[in-house]
Amino acid sequence: MTDSQAVIRVNGVSRWFGSVVAVSEMTFDVMPGITGLLGPNGAGKTTLLRMMTGLAATSTGTVTVFGEPVRDNPPLYRRIGVMSEHETVYGFMKGREFVTMMGQLRGVERLEEAVDRAIERVDLADAQHRPMGTYSRGMRQRMRLAATLVHEPEILILDEPLNGADPRQRVHFQHLLRELAGEGRTIVLSSHILEEVEQLAETVLLVVNGKLAASGGFRAIRAALDQRPYHVRVVCDAPRRLAALAVGIGSVEAVNLDPDGALIILSRRVLDLQLELPRLAQSAGISLRRVEPLDDSLESVFGYLVEG
Amino acid sequence: MGSVYRLTLRQLSGRWRLVIMTLLAALPVITATLTLRSTTAPTVAEFENAALSALLAGSIVPLVVLAIAAAAFSNEVEDRTLANLTLSPLPRWRIAVPKLLGVLTIAMPFAAVSAFGTAYVAFLADLRAAIAVTVAAVAAVALYGSAFTWLGLVTTQAIGVGLLYVVLWEGFFSGLVAGVRLLSIRHYAIALMHGVDPRRFAAGDHLSLPAALVVSAVVFAGFLWLSIRRLRRMDVP
Repeated sequence: MTDSQAVIRVNGVSRWFGSVVAVSEMTFDVMPGITGLLGPNGAGKTTLLRMMTGLAATSTGTVTVFGEPVRDNPPLYRRIGVMSEHETVYGFMKGREFVTMMGQLRGVERLEEAVDRAIERVDLADAQHRPMGTYSRGMRQRMRLAATLVHEPEILILDEPLNGADPRQRVHFQHLLRELAGEGRTIVLSSHILEEVEQLAETVLLVVNGKLAASGGFRAIRAALDQRPYHVRVVCDAPRRLAALAVGIGSVEAVNLDPDGALIILSRRVLDLQLELPRLAQSAGISLRRVEPLDDSLESVFGYLVEG
Repeated sequence: MGSVYRLTLRQLSGRWRLVIMTLLAALPVITATLTLRSTTAPTVAEFENAALSALLAGSIVPLVVLAIAAAAFSNEVEDRTLANLTLSPLPRWRIAVPKLLGVLTIAMPFAAVSAFGTAYVAFLADLRAAIAVTVAAVAAVALYGSAFTWLGLVTTQAIGVGLLYVVLWEGFFSGLVAGVRLLSIRHYAIALMHGVDPRRFAAGDHLSLPAALVVSAVVFAGFLWLSIRRLRRMDVP
């Protein structure tokens, strides 16, 4: 996909509040599909999303959506659906009334059908005639998502959308997001929960201390971290002999023996290890039973970056 | 636009809010009735000063409007629901205007009935005088409504700032310094009252009716424009 197909373009965006820099010099493009905005609480994700939706101004830099500035450009909201992290709802309003009102505000045609469809999508048809003040946290989130979907937006920007969802709702929500992405929509979702992003997002934007620490596919991010130690657990029939051989590999920093007899190898270049370890084992007549990366999860990548 | 208007009506018509407004609106009517029953009936000037200027124009109307108008946007800002409106493709005037209309729809009947009842009782069923007072109250609601709705967008302390304006600026400084009256909603409203019924309300150093009409229109439109501008430029929480 080329840059010209970028749906959202964030270019040199910074935002500061007094002397506090919330977002610093971020530049990236968002393409169709699911993009995960990942970072710890306070990293600047919400501020960034608010600038991407036009709710907040940038201090410097520009945000464009479909090539147009998003700030002070109301017509663009026909094509964007935004669900903020705040769970406050109009407690006096019934769920269906809320979704209907949001549809009216967005000029939805065939409103009743659109409302039915949106509420069915979030699986809340049974509760649609109850005041939202009586909803659980997860139900409020889902009805807010229905309101976000009612005008069938091409872009969905969701700030911590899985907050308050129970495991069943979480699975349903993830299925729904994949379905929406499959329809060609562009979805940006933020989370501080690594598992959520790892399971859903094709592209990850890692935000740490207001800066874009890494971006790309999950594995691409991992590859960018080749200066970080990489843990591999190796189970074989002669661990002490293999340990002695493994320390000879240039990129290996340390080799430890687990209490259960497995080797834990720390390497700075995983490619070296992938190539050299089987060769060494074969030449020494050692049988490798299991080789598994211990930190090939977003959590470990995230941990490295945050701690670094 | 109808959605924002209906939403505003529902938000602002909470039971306790309506009860308090009813009590406030009844106060000048009760005061007028009790004053008439007293042994020493007041002159028009005395009544105007006590019941109309001080109580109705000086406190009841601005307080009723402040309680409603300040909440129109500031509650949405505090609850962080304003984004539901600003993330819509509506031009910002189609958010600000129905919000203000909602405020006026709730506040105006209270102020108008209170003003009419007070004047009708006090001026012994003089309809023209009652209409003059009602017109002044309605104008005051519109002007305060526009000003305080904007205030609710620029500060979360709109009630406090509005009270300072009503008590200090309009109540205190405008009594001391004549020039301050030119920047006082209360005095525009009183000028309208004098203009509508100069027979009954002839005395004083008020603006002329045309001047009061022009200034009122400018103030109303000015604060509405400021609200629209604020909606376009503010960071929405």
